[in-house]
Amino acid sequence: PKKNVSWFPQKYKAAQTVFNIDKKCQKISPDGKAKIQLQLLLHTGESTTFHFANGSTALKDRDATKELLQQLLPKFKKKANKELEEKNRMLQEDPVLFQLYKDLVVSQVISAEEFWANRLSLNTVEHSLSNNNKQEVGISAAFLADIRPQTDGCNGLRYNLTSDIIESIFRTYPTVKQKYAENIPHNMTEKEFWTRFFQSHYFHRDRISTGQQDIFSECAKQDEKGLKSMVTQGVKNPMVDLLSLEDKSLDEGYGTATVPTTSNSSNKSLRENSNSAIIKRFNHHSAMVLAAGLRKAEAPSDQASETSSTDGNSRDSDFFQPPLKKVKLQESIEYDDLQGDSGRQTIALNLKKSDRYSHGPIPLQSQHYTTSQDIINSISIIQHEMRNYKPRLTQVMSSNAASSAITALSPGGLLMQGGGQQTINQLVPTDVQSELKHLYTAAGELLRHFWSCFPVNTPFLEEKVVKMKSNLERFQVTKLRPFQEKIQQQYLSTNLTGHLEEMLQAAYSKFQVWQTRRMMRKT
Amino acid sequence: MKLNIDGLLVYFPYDYIYPEQYSYMLELKRTLDAKGHGVLEMPSGTGKTISLLSLIVAYQKAYPLEVTKLVYCSRTVPEIEKVVEELRKLMDYYTKQTEAKNDFLALALSSRKNLCIHPEVSALRFGKEVDGKCHSLTASYIRAQHHSNPSQPVCQFYEEFDAVGRQVPIPPGIYNLDDLKDFGRRKGWCPYFLARYAILHANIVVYSYHYLLDPKIADLVSKELAKKSVVVFDEAHNIDNVCIDSMSVNITRRTLDRCQTNVETLQNTISRIKETDAAKLREEYSRLVEGLKEANVARETDMYLSNPVLPDEILQEAVPGSIRTAEHFVGFMKRFLEYLKARLRIHHVVQESAPQFLKDIYEKVCIDRKPLRFCAERLRSLLRTLEIADIADFSAITLISHFATLVSTYSKGFTIIIEPFEDRTPTIANPVLHFSCMDPSIAIKPVFGRFQSVIITSGTLSPLDIYPRILDFRPVTVASFTMTLARTCLCPLIVGRGNDQVAMTSKFETREDFAVIRNYGNLLLEMSAIVPDGIVAFFTSYIYMENIVASWYEQGILENIQRNKLIFIETQDAAETSMALEKYQEACENGRGAILLSVARGKVSEGIDFVHHYGRAVIMFGVPYVYTQSRILKARLEYLRDQFQIRENDFLTFDAMRHAAQCVGRAIRGKTDYGLMIFADKRYARADKRGKLPRWIQEHLTDGSLNLTIDETVQLGKHFLRQMAQPFRQEDQLGLSLLTLEQLQSEDMLQKIAQIAQQA
Repeated sequence: PKKNVSWFPQKYKAAQTVFNIDKKCQKISPDGKAKIQLQLLLHTGESTTFHFANGSTALKDRDATKELLQQLLPKFKKKANKELEEKNRMLQEDPVLFQLYKDLVVSQVISAEEFWANRLSLNTVEHSLSNNNKQEVGISAAFLADIRPQTDGCNGLRYNLTSDIIESIFRTYPTVKQKYAENIPHNMTEKEFWTRFFQSHYFHRDRISTGQQDIFSECAKQDEKGLKSMVTQGVKNPMVDLLSLEDKSLDEGYGTATVPTTSNSSNKSLRENSNSAIIKRFNHHSAMVLAAGLRKAEAPSDQASETSSTDGNSRDSDFFQPPLKKVKLQESIEYDDLQGDSGRQTIALNLKKSDRYSHGPIPLQSQHYTTSQDIINSISIIQHEMRNYKPRLTQVMSSNAASSAITALSPGGLLMQGGGQQTINQLVPTDVQSELKHLYTAAGELLRHFWSCFPVNTPFLEEKVVKMKSNLERFQVTKLRPFQEKIQQQYLSTNLTGHLEEMLQAAYSKFQVWQTRRMMRKT
Repeated sequence: MKLNIDGLLVYFPYDYIYPEQYSYMLELKRTLDAKGHGVLEMPSGTGKTISLLSLIVAYQKAYPLEVTKLVYCSRTVPEIEKVVEELRKLMDYYTKQTEAKNDFLALALSSRKNLCIHPEVSALRFGKEVDGKCHSLTASYIRAQHHSNPSQPVCQFYEEFDAVGRQVPIPPGIYNLDDLKDFGRRKGWCPYFLARYAILHANIVVYSYHYLLDPKIADLVSKELAKKSVVVFDEAHNIDNVCIDSMSVNITRRTLDRCQTNVETLQNTISRIKETDAAKLREEYSRLVEGLKEANVARETDMYLSNPVLPDEILQEAVPGSIRTAEHFVGFMKRFLEYLKARLRIHHVVQESAPQFLKDIYEKVCIDRKPLRFCAERLRSLLRTLEIADIADFSAITLISHFATLVSTYSKGFTIIIEPFEDRTPTIANPVLHFSCMDPSIAIKPVFGRFQSVIITSGTLSPLDIYPRILDFRPVTVASFTMTLARTCLCPLIVGRGNDQVAMTSKFETREDFAVIRNYGNLLLEMSAIVPDGIVAFFTSYIYMENIVASWYEQGILENIQRNKLIFIETQDAAETSMALEKYQEACENGRGAILLSVARGKVSEGIDFVHHYGRAVIMFGVPYVYTQSRILKARLEYLRDQFQIRENDFLTFDAMRHAAQCVGRAIRGKTDYGLMIFADKRYARADKRGKLPRWIQEHLTDGSLNLTIDETVQLGKHFLRQMAQPFRQEDQLGLSLLTLEQLQSEDMLQKIAQIAQQA
């Protein structure tokens, strides 16, 4: 096992640095005991006992160590657990890996650590990648509400901001983030920034913007602009477009509906104005929250994100309109229960080149066409040659060789084995096949470990390559041999393991070469 | 499947059928057989449209001489397009089954804005602009000028259509708006005029109400439709208001000011023409003397609004001498205008009848009734003679002339109300003259008279007997169909109290009560926690919603709601609301969930469906009474009482309940859909309100759900939603609310079906 606890006796005190602790728990000796000891129980079941020997301070040291370890323990426990969980998850999710694990670790060809050493690092990369693709945590629509102002007793208000809330504010209102970037830290402190934020009308949605010196008035204006552009952009779905709903182009003045009052702000009271401002803000806020949630997801689809970042509207305008309209119309007249079960809705396979799909990949051939003239010519040439054919009796084969060549070339013959490939899966029983498959994956894994050591340029790799070679040998003895014997017992004539052995031989010879070269260098 | 509806072979383009659809078709068939009118109520989402189309198309095919045309009127553009798509489905089924080539021509017609393909004109945003620009390129005199002066721009698409489009009939098929545009682009023809022309020989026409109900437009578009047509008004629950709207006029001071400029422009144009082309005016004059009502032969492209009064009211005689010359007419208009200006300069409300108005105008400025009646015609003729290109500019004077003609034509059914200011803002002078129609039967009368069958249908027409009364016609069938359900997918609940037992109501006296507003807020908050995806909440009016939202905001209720769902709110700006609506759907779509606060009688409540997860609950805050203090409404109520013996309260409740039903009905759009319908007002529990809800909602209102507290509502709602969330398969419905052909033919099923239709 790895050295998890490094122990440095330094100066008079024992100070310790803990790198990575893979331990379950610690035990200390009872206070009254003569020996002052600290025992670490590791996950692997081993335990290490430290004996504190520096006399008078021993007890103190031990306690300090204990304290420190106590603090660190839960942290690493979590990490260890996480690793275990991760390993467990990987094994559960990947049956091939699980089989490999069984073949190699359980049967003790290689140790668990060796098995994971290569995998986990590979995995953390993968994992972090998949983490990125994971769903973003959305933004609560009520994040502003979570900032509950509390009175601080002397006519002031306290707002509690968490980093989550700040993140939410920034994601929902990019303009605020921009302001933040502009002003912090050269213009004002962070605290001042947020104080102003809460003071500004921007936070209080019902107030009508007045102050010009307010740094957020610009944000409000931009929001306004964003909202306007959203509105003018119109909607994509024609079914919800209220503007084109009615089919009447009469002038105003007809009808009983109250005449649209010249709805200028002059006509409205202040209260009404603030009310409609609230409504507008709510719509805008919800749209921004929604867009903030979608923005991340859409980020890779390059062009769309540009518009989304500023105005909360996440798509370019009516580029896709006609088909969308058709789809929505069809959707709205669909009665799925009246329809007979005309089969489930399937997703159409989207093929760029359908001929490729139906033919599969074909080897690239040099484009050599023969015209019919060519063919006719060649036929006439052959005919011509045949007419003038004279056997050269001096170079004739012996009849034995000829007949053996014929048998080799006839079906079932030695040279016609290529045609037998189809039959091999009929010849070999399935359990043998699956076992062979497992052997292949296991061998592949081991070989991968082996070959990954080259070029061997560190002592660690040297050590590893030797170990891997012995692993390979062990594999050959414990796994491959029994399998070969089993095949022989089942009198399967075909050489199934030939290729495996070849691969192993290739590895051995490589190892041989490397070893002799190393010996030579040493001497 | 192929159905036998009372001896008629009906092709129905689905493998299964709802029992109520069968029943609906039976009633419809009877109506057509009797060549009479019908009122049919069937819940939305039960395939009303396809039933209608299947039966009428079958009828047309079977008796091509009895029914020559189907005129299908719907309210919104999306609705129109939906109908055409359903029709396409039906026709595809016909071709597949009969393997005969389709010989039906069906098309949608809409305004120029939706049909224009001219690159510059169609780029304009508003319908009015498109109309005006189109007119300036296609008017008959413009085209005449183009002949002598080729640099005068004209619309190539129209020229092309005019040259060849009429000789070659449009091939049979189903043409939606986009198909017409495609066809037009391919041929280089104007789709709008093509459609206008094609409706004359089409088998099926789908367009908006206005093309039939508004005399100004109907005269241009639908004049020549055959008498043997079947007319269907779908979504007809508001048809009376459409009728009234089409005959009413409002005049503000701004209208008069604009009219003033119009008059001046006319005057200048006349004097200019007099110098250059006096013959033209003389010719107009002599034609008017000869009694030709219209001095020039109207071309289809000369898009002046037609006479605002109904055809049978238009005088068939020569224009009176006092307004025959152009100058006299302009002088006449000036006098009329001055009179109106004087009338608007008042400080108190005036209400008078049309005869009173005529008497007053005669006494004050000596204007007779007769020339007033000819005002609209005379102006039309003048505008045409003067070759005014931009008619959109002349909308004000057109409006005034329409008012003149209407007020002098109808002595009954109309009222004039002059208000010096708005009720809400008594300090700001904003005088308006309302000339308002109170009798919806006036506008629709010619439709009933002219066409052999008129079907009025909707999801909410209850109480059924009121429509024949206010529209003044004798239907042969009046029926309401319920929705057969395999599971109760709608859950109407009446919440009458908050948890503090304070009554919840939007009654005028208590609506601003702190406790009521808070309880409404709590209801929404609680529902936002238990209902998945979308919730739509309707308020009784826009102002009320604004107030409530503001106080919810102050009380922190909205913040708490935001923890559960995003909030979107309808505004008075349609573009803004569309945006909010789309975001709302987006939020429902991505699982975040949202609440839409909206207004009954608003555009959202009338035109937008909230299918499936877009609306899992609808909350109706209060009873959506119309603003009862309005004088126009009061006059109308009075008229209804005197003329039709409909009591004020009955009508008000009926009107409120149909809007409430419309609102809550938005959530259920089919049998696989489900949703809560929450009526948040204790007054809904009363029998007179409840009884006016459509039958298909009433049926599911149990006694136990009449006066709930918020807590009880949450409990019931939770239970309902949990049940509904279980998988619902086709097998569950089969035999109950969904039938195969065999099941339909069984004896006891036919008996059951007979009970679905309830005759009023």
